[in-house]
Amino acid sequence: MATHSGGLKMRWLTAAFLGLIVASARAADLPLDAPIPDTVPPGTVLRVGGQHDLEFTLAGERDKLPFKLEFANISAGPPTINAFHAKALDVGFSNDIPAIQAAWLGLDVRIVAVRLRKNPEAPAFQFGIAPKAGIASLSDLRGKKIAFSPGQAQGSVVLRTLKQYGIRRDEVELVELPSNGNSYLNALAANLVDAAPLSQIPIKRYAADYAKDGGKVLAPYGIKDNPLILWVRTDTLKDPAKAAALKLYLAAWARSTRWIDTHPDQWVDTWYVKDQGISAEDGRFLETQLGHPDIPQDWTQVIRDEQETIDFMAEETGRKPFDATKLFDRRFETVAGAAFIKP
Amino acid sequence: MTHVSLQTPRTLSPGKSYLPERGKQSAREAPSVRAGRRLSLGKGLSYGWIFGPIVLLAFWSLGSALDWIDPRILPAPWVAVTTGTSLAAEGRLLPNILVSAERVGSGLAFGILAGVLLALFSGLTRFGGYLIDGVIQIKRAVPIYALIPFFTLWFGIGEGMKITVIAVAAFYPVYLQTHNALRSIDLRYVELAESLRLTYRDFLRHIVLPGVLPGFLLGLRFSVMAAWLSVIIVEQTNATRGIGYMINLAVSYAQTDVMLVGLVLYAILGVASDCAVRLLQRGLLSWQRTLAG
Repeated sequence: MATHSGGLKMRWLTAAFLGLIVASARAADLPLDAPIPDTVPPGTVLRVGGQHDLEFTLAGERDKLPFKLEFANISAGPPTINAFHAKALDVGFSNDIPAIQAAWLGLDVRIVAVRLRKNPEAPAFQFGIAPKAGIASLSDLRGKKIAFSPGQAQGSVVLRTLKQYGIRRDEVELVELPSNGNSYLNALAANLVDAAPLSQIPIKRYAADYAKDGGKVLAPYGIKDNPLILWVRTDTLKDPAKAAALKLYLAAWARSTRWIDTHPDQWVDTWYVKDQGISAEDGRFLETQLGHPDIPQDWTQVIRDEQETIDFMAEETGRKPFDATKLFDRRFETVAGAAFIKP
Repeated sequence: MTHVSLQTPRTLSPGKSYLPERGKQSAREAPSVRAGRRLSLGKGLSYGWIFGPIVLLAFWSLGSALDWIDPRILPAPWVAVTTGTSLAAEGRLLPNILVSAERVGSGLAFGILAGVLLALFSGLTRFGGYLIDGVIQIKRAVPIYALIPFFTLWFGIGEGMKITVIAVAAFYPVYLQTHNALRSIDLRYVELAESLRLTYRDFLRHIVLPGVLPGFLLGLRFSVMAAWLSVIIVEQTNATRGIGYMINLAVSYAQTDVMLVGLVLYAILGVASDCAVRLLQRGLLSWQRTLAG
């Protein structure tokens, strides 16, 4: 009896196991070095992070795509990683630091498009200086309290700035504080930290509101931009339908990026003023801050820079460095770049 | 409540008072107490609760007008009105309120339903109590904010996740108060029901229902508030509409005036829904006589 039921159990287990394999195989996986298919089967859905809804509509790209495109309003690093874990998102849109962070967290991801700025002399991040900090230039950061968020671009900006100005990490007090909303602006206004990297509107707001108390904004020199990236889980790349859709999406994204760049007034008005509800002046400020986009067709330099970022972050945060080429899927190298420059 | 024994009714029905009239009671039945000493609070003003908020508002207005309050820290109260009016005129307010109200409504419905059902199960049966109550007491100690990443993993980033979070937030107060009310039903009523040989159905209707109603309604008041409060958390994840989204967006653009409008809106919506529940409470508990009067 015992052996009989034991045998039965084994058979059931085997059957269940085989069933599982069959179920998980779906349509055969696309190898990670196979060419990307051109046809998107009907019923394909691509879920994309970032709010590109409006620009796609304005640029006339929204209805051209032969698959269902869903935009999710997720773009910061931590929520993107979380949504990837939940398999709730196919394409992430953020700067490069979260992708490096994700790789360290054991998430298998690939960068499929890179967006740089044409005028990197206007730094994306500038340091807000608290009213009572007593900092005249960034070389005075030594011995001061600096807001620090290791998993975000803000964190790498702080570390790079310290290095640039020849200040050792143990010569400053790094206060761990995630940057969300205007948390850094508030921390500065309350003198909780002496310096914090600001970006976008808080730069303008802080300079305007706290100048009379002695608060100011200092731009670091020689700090490289963090590129904006589109990145995916390798699971998404193994799905031939999604991979094909992704290829079309990247080209459409590049064209809509170009549309924004060539229609700044219309963009400021429809997006910043009408949709986001900020003043036209603030909208223009952000537009200028963003600078002109550059979507390279050749990733050689991009990957070299990324390797440097990985090595730097690894050294500063005590992680293991890894090969930057592993983070890029070069099958997509020219897709966005070619669509971007095409007249 | 001991007066019930004087006139033992055959059944106790909710909505019907078994207590003697208040005036007669003090005159007839308390001869040993010194006359003239009143222990109740006396008659209350109908809108007395407005007093505190008015004092606060006056203080805030005065402080802003006289420049004691730094507008970068807290804008003047009339900024909320002017910004709110212009936002409403641009059509930014109502659509956001409706989207959030819909989320709150669905979340509340699920949360209350689950709260009542589980409270009944764990309050009225020993097994249910052993199975459920412990788990819920433990979960109560976990902040909902910390659950969001896990809820994202389990329920994704869509509408389902948002409503689940609101439902969970709304679930606890209803569950806890209902369960507590159930377990604190006076044993004498249960014994009364036993000696009257009430069927279980009649017991539920005439003893449990009136016994549990005050607790449930109190829980409901907290639940409605909790549901509104959780909106701002759920609308941080993949939302493009809603009051929470509006506030989060204003935070990222450092628009203090819009944030203030959001807070005032929250206060109005919260107080309005609380008033609605209190009206319900007054209607359903008209038989209760308490210190509040």
